[in-house]
Amino acid sequence: MKNIYEVQSANKIRTAVIVAGFVVFVFLAVYILTNAFGYYMGYQPGGLGYFGMAFIVSGISSFFSYYYSDKIVLGISGARRANPQEDRLFTQVAENLSIGAGIPKPKLYVIEDSAPNAFATGRDPEHAVICVTTGLLSKLDRTELEGVMAHEISHIRNYDIRLMSVVSVMVGLVALLGDWFLRVRFFGGGRNRDSDSGSLGAIMIIVGIIFAILSPIIAQLIQLAISRRREFTADAGSVGITRQPQGLISALEKIASDTEPLEAANKATAHLYIVNPFKKSSNKAVATFAGLFNTHPPIPERIKALKSMA
Amino acid sequence: MNLIYVLLIIGVVLVFWVISTYNFFVSSKTRVGAAIQEIGNQLKRQAELIPNLESSAKGYLTHEKEIFNELTAARKAISSAVSSGNVNKMADAGKMLSDVLPKIQVVVESNPEIKGAEVVKDLMDQLRDTSDKVMYARRLMIDLTADYNVKLVTVPSSLVAGLFHFEKLKGFETPEDGAEMKVTGEEMKTPKVKL
Repeated sequence: MKNIYEVQSANKIRTAVIVAGFVVFVFLAVYILTNAFGYYMGYQPGGLGYFGMAFIVSGISSFFSYYYSDKIVLGISGARRANPQEDRLFTQVAENLSIGAGIPKPKLYVIEDSAPNAFATGRDPEHAVICVTTGLLSKLDRTELEGVMAHEISHIRNYDIRLMSVVSVMVGLVALLGDWFLRVRFFGGGRNRDSDSGSLGAIMIIVGIIFAILSPIIAQLIQLAISRRREFTADAGSVGITRQPQGLISALEKIASDTEPLEAANKATAHLYIVNPFKKSSNKAVATFAGLFNTHPPIPERIKALKSMA
Repeated sequence: MNLIYVLLIIGVVLVFWVISTYNFFVSSKTRVGAAIQEIGNQLKRQAELIPNLESSAKGYLTHEKEIFNELTAARKAISSAVSSGNVNKMADAGKMLSDVLPKIQVVVESNPEIKGAEVVKDLMDQLRDTSDKVMYARRLMIDLTADYNVKLVTVPSSLVAGLFHFEKLKGFETPEDGAEMKVTGEEMKTPKVKL
């Protein structure tokens, strides 16, 4: 039995550990790749170097998706603005919970889809968006809806969208460097292959190839681990706002038992939703391995964590 | 020479930490103040809703004079509490109103004619919503006060608090005469529900 304060601080520590490990890994990978690159090409470019170039490319693309995340996602999923009269329960619950969480009221959007689901996006609490499906509004009662909305509001309050954008810049960085390295291996001939500094250079190049292949995958796996940890944190934050774990528990149960896939979701937006919108029928044998590639922790595990707070 | 640099860095980090901790205490205090105003704001909203309720439900609730008297009293209490700006008075006034609401609910539930009326349904919904809003406004204030008070007593932030003489925030006053720690014989019995 843990109280929510202990759960919240444990989650903070675990996120910090994963993020720290991630940063160390990215630096190591970048260091090895740029060095191997240098050995292979026979010289190190001045100025920004390979690292700088990769950082700029990855940074610019991620910055745009971060800065315009709300507009992009809403455009993709075909959401409409919530109407205070028509979607009264939704509006009321959002108002009340933002009072409780001490953030400005997010912009509210509705997707016309009978599969119950919800997501939050936007770069900071001032530009936050919460989007729910009509299925969610019709299938959940007020307490359950409060649980789900408080989960989304916790994501906003914890700046999870910002964290995940920073993480994806770094994943993009590693992926780009790895990609470039492999490309020049195949297409560009190294100029000074003979005047290489002997065995050290050869070792660096081999290590570089291994890193070029493996590190984008590893970086992505760590990214997913961070994403799953943030889901647990948002669940705990939801209980912190509503003090009613039962609401979120029964909402998750209802959403999980609903087999309909969400048509408005696609691979790019899947990680945003409160539960995975694709609902793969899980085969136990591959479940553990597949679990590594999930953006969300399995619902039974989330319910177990919530019950320990009840 | 190296030692000087190390000490310098430690010093700079320390100063930044003291500044950020100081800022935490100051800004928390301001946010608690804002949260108190928010409670007043929501109570006022609630109070303003009552005349609407009265005028549209009066036709149905002609026999329930007493409820209307209580409602009016609660409304007056809320306006005076909000203008005084005292948290505890606000809490008391809010409680007066939330005591009346179940009574209205009983009347509405027991009378199918009233229950069916769209106006009344709408108002019951509004009333639940507004009392939720007051509850969440109070929750925010309680949470902020708790954050502040925890930092005030835990090491190392307590050192900064001591340095600048920050004091404990009160939050809501609850009677702590020991009665809340006791369980009466009545409460030990399992409640029986007759259907």
